[in-house]
Formats: sequence, C-alpha cells, structure tokens
Amino acid sequence: MKRNLAYLGERALLVLISVVVLFPIGWMFLTAFKQPRDAYSLSLDFEPTFRNFVTVFSDPWNLGSMVMNSVIVATVTVAIAVPCATLAAYSFSRFRVKARKFMFFLILSTQFIPAVVIVLPFFLMFRQLDMLDTRLALIIVNLAIVTPFVIWMIKGFIDAIPTDSEEAAMIDGASRLRVIKDIVLPMAAPGIMTSSIFCFILTWNEFLFALILSRRDAVTLPVGLVSFRTERGDLWELMSAAGVMITVPIFIMALFIQKHFTRGMTAGAVK
Amino acid sequence: MKDRLLPYWLLIPAFVIVLATTIYPLAHSLITSLRDWDLTKSRRPEGFVGFDNYVYAASESQFLNSLWVTFVFVITSVILTVILAMALALLLRRKGPMHTFTRIILILPFAMSPALIGVSYRFMFNPEFGVLAKGLGAIFPALQGVPWLADPQLAMAILVLTDVWHWTPYMTFMCLGGLASIPRETEEAARIDGASNLRIVFGIILPQMKGVILVMAVLKTIFALKMFDQVVTLTGGGPGTSTETLAYFIFNVGFRWFDMGYASALAWILTAIMMFISIWYVRMLLSERKMATA
Repeated sequence: MKRNLAYLGERALLVLISVVVLFPIGWMFLTAFKQPRDAYSLSLDFEPTFRNFVTVFSDPWNLGSMVMNSVIVATVTVAIAVPCATLAAYSFSRFRVKARKFMFFLILSTQFIPAVVIVLPFFLMFRQLDMLDTRLALIIVNLAIVTPFVIWMIKGFIDAIPTDSEEAAMIDGASRLRVIKDIVLPMAAPGIMTSSIFCFILTWNEFLFALILSRRDAVTLPVGLVSFRTERGDLWELMSAAGVMITVPIFIMALFIQKHFTRGMTAGAVK
Repeated sequence: MKDRLLPYWLLIPAFVIVLATTIYPLAHSLITSLRDWDLTKSRRPEGFVGFDNYVYAASESQFLNSLWVTFVFVITSVILTVILAMALALLLRRKGPMHTFTRIILILPFAMSPALIGVSYRFMFNPEFGVLAKGLGAIFPALQGVPWLADPQLAMAILVLTDVWHWTPYMTFMCLGGLASIPRETEEAARIDGASNLRIVFGIILPQMKGVILVMAVLKTIFALKMFDQVVTLTGGGPGTSTETLAYFIFNVGFRWFDMGYASALAWILTAIMMFISIWYVRMLLSERKMATA
C-alpha cells in the first residue's frame, strides 16, 4: 500500500515536471497557429491557421532576412571557433607546454567576462570602422564568448581518448599533425560534433551583442522578437510564430545531442 | 626542433582569438573607464578624469539600486535552481520510461533562447489575456486580478521564475553526472539496514555531492550576475527600476545615454565581481580534477 502510494506519487511528480517544462513551449506553439483574435482568448477551440507565418515572412517584418543573419552568424562563428579550439584543446590535453596552467587559467577565466564589457569597446571600434550593423561584427564578438567555452569542452573529450594508438603511430614514424588528422580527429568526432552544436545554440540564442550592434541589416532572430512590440501593442501571434522559427531548429539539434549532453557537460564542468 | 614548437603553434589561433576578442576589449574599457566621454557631446574621448567615474558610481542611487536588484536576483535564483536541480536529479536517476521521457524533454528549456523565454512569460502573465495570470486566478481566487508584471515584487519573482525554468535543466544534468559518479554501495547497505529515504539523501548522498553542488552554485552565480536578456524582453527593468539588474543598467548608461566613460567604469565593477568569483571557481575546478585523478 505504502509502496503503491510512493509509486503513484513519483509518477505524479514526473507528470507535473513534464507539464511545467512543456506548457510554456506548447502555449507558444498553439498561439503561433491562432488567428489574431483567438490569440487573446484562452480557448483551445480555434481554427488553426498558417497566416502568421506568412505575415512574419513578408513586409514589414521580413523574418527571412533575420533567419539568414542568424544562420550565417552562427555557422561562421562555429566554423572559426571549433577548428581553432580543437587544436588548442589537443595541445592542452597532450603537451606539457610552458606556463600551461597559466594559459589554461586565462582561457577559462575569459569565459566569465560579462558580455557588456566586451561589447562597449567593440561598439566604439565598429562605429569608427563603419562596421556597425554587419554580420562580421556579430561574428567577431560572438567568438569572444564561444571560443573559451569550446576549448574547455573539446579538451574534456580529447582527455578521454587513450593515447596508446597515437604513440604507436608516432613510433612508426607518423608526424604529430598526421596523428591528429588520422587518429585523434576521427575518435574525437562525436565530441567535436556535440561541442559544435552547443556552440551553434549559444550563438543562435545570443541577444545582447545583436541588440547593441545591429539596427536593420544584421538583425538576428532573438532581437527580431523585440520588433513585434509596436505602438499598437505586442503582436503576440506574430511573436509566437517567430518564436517557433527560433526554437524548432534548435530543439532538433538539442535532442540530437541529448545523449552526449550530460557527458559533455560533466566533462566540461565537473570533471 | 619543429616538433618541440608544435604545441605552441597549435595554441596560436585560439590565443589570437581570445586576445583580440576579450583581453583587448577589457584593456580598452579599463582605459575608457578613466576618461570622461559622453558620446552625445563628442565623437572622441575627452580627458582623463582618474577614478571619478568610479567615485561617482559609489554615490549614485540608480547604480546602488541595480546592485541591490542583482543581489536579490542572484541569491534567489541560485538557491532555487540548485535545490530544484538536486531534487530533480534524485528523482530522474532511476530507470523507467517516464523518467527517460522527462530527462529528454528537460533539454528543451535550456536550448530555448532566453530572450524568447522572457517574451513568452510576458505573454502568459498578461493580466488581461495571459494564460497563467487567468489560470492561477481561476485556481486561487486570491490571485484574481493580480497585476503581475506591474507589481515590483511579483515582477522580480517572475524574472526569477524564467531564469529558474531556463537553468534548472542544465543544473539537473550536472547533478545527474555527479550522482552517477558516486559509489552506490553505502547507499544500498543503508537501505538494507532499513534507513529511511530522507536519511539516505541527507546522510549519505548529499555529503558526497558537496563538491558538485558547490561547483553548480558558483557557476550559476556567475551566469545570474550577467542577467540581461529576460530583463529586456520580460520587464524592461520595470516597474520603475525594480528589476533593473546591473548588466541592464550598464546597457542603459552606455547605449541609451551614451555615457561611455561611466558605462565602462560600471562594466569594470561587474567584471571585478565576476573575476573574483570565477577565479575562485576555476581554482576549485582544477583542484577537484586533481582529486579525481589522484
């Protein structure tokens, strides 16, 4: 009897947690498919429509260009940060270089510098160079946040790879670079992939830099959300439609790395 | 010879990025913080004023207010997140289809853009048509017609709620990692001896999780200190200045009032606080690691 109650209680708790997690997301998805007049009612009985998605992609909202900006900024940031970070992570993992501890310390600490401090000087610099409101500007500042983080994460994955086969290949005369390319990279690939996706999500969701450094041309999706706040009030059904566009690709990626996520996190943060 | 330098060559690209994107801006804003530079008055920085900007901050009520707001926010969100994450991890470490399902969906809030979280909670707490405002009013009559985001205390509570909703999953994953690494024998022996669940959790599991909990708390503190996105999209710092966190206040000084000198000084105050905590954190991580490999 007591066991049964505990069993039921545990199930009930799990259901409650799932509701708390899923409800805000589900409500946004529902609202995205509502007519404007239904968006302001709590009724679940409404005629679903795709009109909001059509609206956000047309004038004056032009979500399409924001999607492009977000995709380009996140992809290029990952494409620069991950290869550089992988090399550095390998070096930190395998060699006892001079001042290693200090350098590692430096890199780890920069991860925690508040974004506002970074963006102030960059704002002044980009203004001088006439680079405000460009994707390049966003990519540069995003690298600041992402790079230290990815080094730390990939190092965790490389640390977990045994060195035996590398040593064997070196004895056979393979060069270090060859060893990295043919042995380490394939073995670290899942970890590098996880880190890349993680880095993509961070950049994709980044808000502060984009809010300050973009006006019109380089606006990314999270900042685009703010533009649905008009003099006529907040246009919730359009915001929700834009919200769906922001979340769907990220959710797919997140679920894809879900298994590695716990490991990556603990490798990076706890181990 | 070539091979001896290789470790350094491998480090160079990443170091160039880190130097250019973090060390340089840090130095630049430190220098700016010592100057008088109002962007609306002059395009170029004006003279050095020493520590005037810092001295001014110490007596400026809006800065002190944002410091207090940040303090309240950090304390509540860290405590709630850590406790909830620990409880969730204890629940979710068991096996079962429902446990697995919950673990999988738990990644969703963390992947969601914080700006969007702010927007959607603002929608749900709208007193006229928000589903949570209406729903809570229907369940608890006392909560009917509560102005939620227009009330200073409640606005802060909702800001904390969005942050806890966003971060608890990540922290739960960290806890699960920690739980998986502690040996189960003591726990099982205690269970056979008839120890209650509460005693097992508080007497056996939590003491072994001390390291992980400390790491979580510090990491969460660092992230909470930077709170910005939801402040913009959920409350706009309001009502009044009741949810104006330090990061948001710096943003206002720098990019609404364009007082670059003062904003840089404030940014450096925030950096100093964060540096203090993160150096402590990184040290802790490195010594944990030593313990783990020893």
